Amino acid sequence: MKALVVDDSNTMRAVLRRILQMRGFETVEAKHGVEALHVLAQTGTADLALVDWNMPEMNGLQFVTEVRKNPTHAQMRIMMVTTETGLHEVQSAIDAGATDYLMKPFTTGQVDDKLALLGLDSHA
Amino acid sequence: MNECGESADSRIRTKQGALQSRLDRRFSAETAMEELDEIFSEFLIEANEVLDQFDRDMVELEKDPSSRTLLDGIFRGIHTIKGTSGVLGLDKLVSISHVGETLLCRMRDGEMRLTPESTTALLAMSDSLRQVLGAIAASGSEGDGDFSALIRLLTSLLDPQHTSSEPAAPSTDLPAANQSMAAAALTPAQDPPPETAPPASVKTETAREQKDLGGDALGNTIRVDVTLLDKLMNLVGELVLARNQIMQLTSVQTEPALTGAAQRLSHITSELQSSVMKTRMQPIGTIWHKLPRLLRDLARGCGKEVELITEGAETELDRTILEAIKDPLTHVIRNAVDHGIETPEQRSRNGKNPAGQLTLRAYHEGGKVNIEIRDDGAGVNLDAVKRKALERRLIEPGEADRMSERELLSLIFQPGFSTAQQVTNISGRGVGMDVVKTNITKIGGTIDLQSTPGQGTTLTIKIPLTLAIIPALIVTSASNRFAIPQVSLVELVRLEGEAAAHAIEYIHNTPVYRLRGTLLPIVYLDQELGAAARQTKEDGQAITIVVLQTESNVFGLVVDEVNDSEEIVVKPLGNLLRGLSCYAGATIMGDGRVALILDVMGLAQKARVVGEQRTRTTETVVEKTQMDMELESWLLADLGGARRVAIPLDRVHRLEEFPASAMEWSGNQSVIQYRGEIMPMISVAQLLGMARISEPAATMQATVVSRGDRRYALLVDRIVDIVEQQIVVDPSRKTALCAGSAVIEEHVTDVLDVEGIIDASLFHTAELLTAQAGSC
Repeated sequence: MKALVVDDSNTMRAVLRRILQMRGFETVEAKHGVEALHVLAQTGTADLALVDWNMPEMNGLQFVTEVRKNPTHAQMRIMMVTTETGLHEVQSAIDAGATDYLMKPFTTGQVDDKLALLGLDSHA
Repeated sequence: MNECGESADSRIRTKQGALQSRLDRRFSAETAMEELDEIFSEFLIEANEVLDQFDRDMVELEKDPSSRTLLDGIFRGIHTIKGTSGVLGLDKLVSISHVGETLLCRMRDGEMRLTPESTTALLAMSDSLRQVLGAIAASGSEGDGDFSALIRLLTSLLDPQHTSSEPAAPSTDLPAANQSMAAAALTPAQDPPPETAPPASVKTETAREQKDLGGDALGNTIRVDVTLLDKLMNLVGELVLARNQIMQLTSVQTEPALTGAAQRLSHITSELQSSVMKTRMQPIGTIWHKLPRLLRDLARGCGKEVELITEGAETELDRTILEAIKDPLTHVIRNAVDHGIETPEQRSRNGKNPAGQLTLRAYHEGGKVNIEIRDDGAGVNLDAVKRKALERRLIEPGEADRMSERELLSLIFQPGFSTAQQVTNISGRGVGMDVVKTNITKIGGTIDLQSTPGQGTTLTIKIPLTLAIIPALIVTSASNRFAIPQVSLVELVRLEGEAAAHAIEYIHNTPVYRLRGTLLPIVYLDQELGAAARQTKEDGQAITIVVLQTESNVFGLVVDEVNDSEEIVVKPLGNLLRGLSCYAGATIMGDGRVALILDVMGLAQKARVVGEQRTRTTETVVEKTQMDMELESWLLADLGGARRVAIPLDRVHRLEEFPASAMEWSGNQSVIQYRGEIMPMISVAQLLGMARISEPAATMQATVVSRGDRRYALLVDRIVDIVEQQIVVDPSRKTALCAGSAVIEEHVTDVLDVEGIIDASLFHTAELLTAQAGSC
């Protein structure tokens, strides 16, 4: 399985990469929406995208909107990674096509729950 | 390599212990140690970068509060730190950044405006975050700093009407986070709907963009541990030494293949050296980045307006040097804002732009880097300097009048000097410009101050590009070899035959040499270092003088032989020798022997050619004058401006009148031909620091005095009288030039000290020349 991690923080990408790889994901990364679209175009679609909300160049919402215009990525599940301050924005992301959200700070248990909910857990 | 790796490992392990316990709650149970550490160091670097950018953007935002791009960037920065800290379980960072984020969020949503108070509070927040990051870097834990006051302050800013701290709004959202997706999605609908956040601007921030590229492993750059660079530099140093040895060995044999190979080795070594040095270079801009923030705080603190202009931020310096100049530079800037730049009202009154300008300029010049800090403020108040120096007993009363503007300015660098009227929060904490100077000198740099009253002050710092490998002159003294850093070297003088026999004269037992009209104090290196007693000089034996420059003084160092100039690798001295001020370190020579590197400043201080010289002369003079008090015959003369002086008559050889046209110049000394010899002419009024009042007359009245077999003409305005009288001298007015004052024939009269006058004129001339040479 392949996951795309979109976050402008090197640290956050490292953390998410680690968690996903432990669960058998192959990961690709991008620092913002524009780069993420570029990465998807180059490496093909992914099973899962973990998308930060607040990024330079193109934010999470814009990315979701853009990526959903492309039918190639219709099957890609998009999980918004946000904080409680961004919670009220989640609705607009879901309206735009996001599948679910993960709230920071998260524990690995919470990540597992979410993955299971999306049918992406390693036992599946 | 191994040793280095191990110690770093063990350090990391201790840190990991602390981190591990913290992270167990999170995702770390399954994550390997190295990866954890990698993530944490990544986080520390990232967070610090974000905070630096945050500071810069905050200062910019204050100037341009309507900038959407800036506000978005600032918000995103704090948001990132909070989010990442949360994931890593760094609760303190979360709680601090959380309030700041909320405040910024309101501003972004247009609910609040940026006020100076909130800017200050947000900047304080960034400081606190840095403090916690520092603690994490040092100990692996967030430390026990208490930030509740800051959090309360930020919270109170959220709601200016109710200063009591109201729980931050988001905390009510918290439970929702753990509920189901649907519930969370509903939450915003129930909340009072804040205006839907406008989409973040798509405009790029160049600075941030560039940094991202720089830190990206995918690009052309990589991050390298500094310890590795230090080790590389060390190894290159050793290689240079080995190269020098090989070059020396090959110079005495004739095998062409070996000579060729040695030369190739030499070229490659030089190239490697400069490349490795380049890896350690960083643009000076890296330490300038923080200045806008500093200036803002400073300017606000003193109620001033300051505009910062930087030029040459890309100028590169060795990172050790950058590290070393960071604090001095900050201090100089504090001083410029605090003492240099006037308040906006004052500036407006003087027809200046209310906002002061502070210009930082860095550029390469002659293998060195010059850093100029220029302000357009009031300039240094020389009278205040004089007053303060007298108050602090840094100089004698008479001395102040004789000092040139340059000498007065140099007083600022004396320990314990500060011209601030009151001790302010910003400067004047007991750390003065002397510390700045010491720190700059320590890294082989020089510092120079120029000031124009009403127009501003320019401080120029000259520093070497690197400290590790320096060009030096190798000399021999008492069969030992010493290295003298080339930066201190002015010239070499070799005296042979007849010249050598009489070249070195003595003034009050101080050996001096006349170098083109300048009196150069002489230091014998072998004597100073306590090497074998000097053999009596044979006639005709050559003398080699190495002329050396300390910050403001020049002196001559007599050595037995000058060997060669060489690139030397500076090695620190061992603990037992470190206390010796004469040595700056040691190096290994081409033949494998060790040579000590002379610390020119330390040597000058030990030999008392700096600072001490003048005092010593003064003391001798004063003793002599006290005996002169017994004399009862006095020559009275006017100096103009109602200033009258008395000269002991028995010192007066003749009274003469010279036509002004007979005056000639030798070096910087005015002289006159008198009875077949060249006689120096000393203007008493000028020595006493009096401004010239009357135009020079066609004829000059002079008192010819003698000392030893030399004669000197003391020029006065008018010779008044000769009196025979027992006078009472008021010793409180005693200076190096005057024995004191007395009332003679109803006039307050300064009793001149002839010896002091002659000495002073000699030193005055010498110093004038030195000062001129220095300013060229």
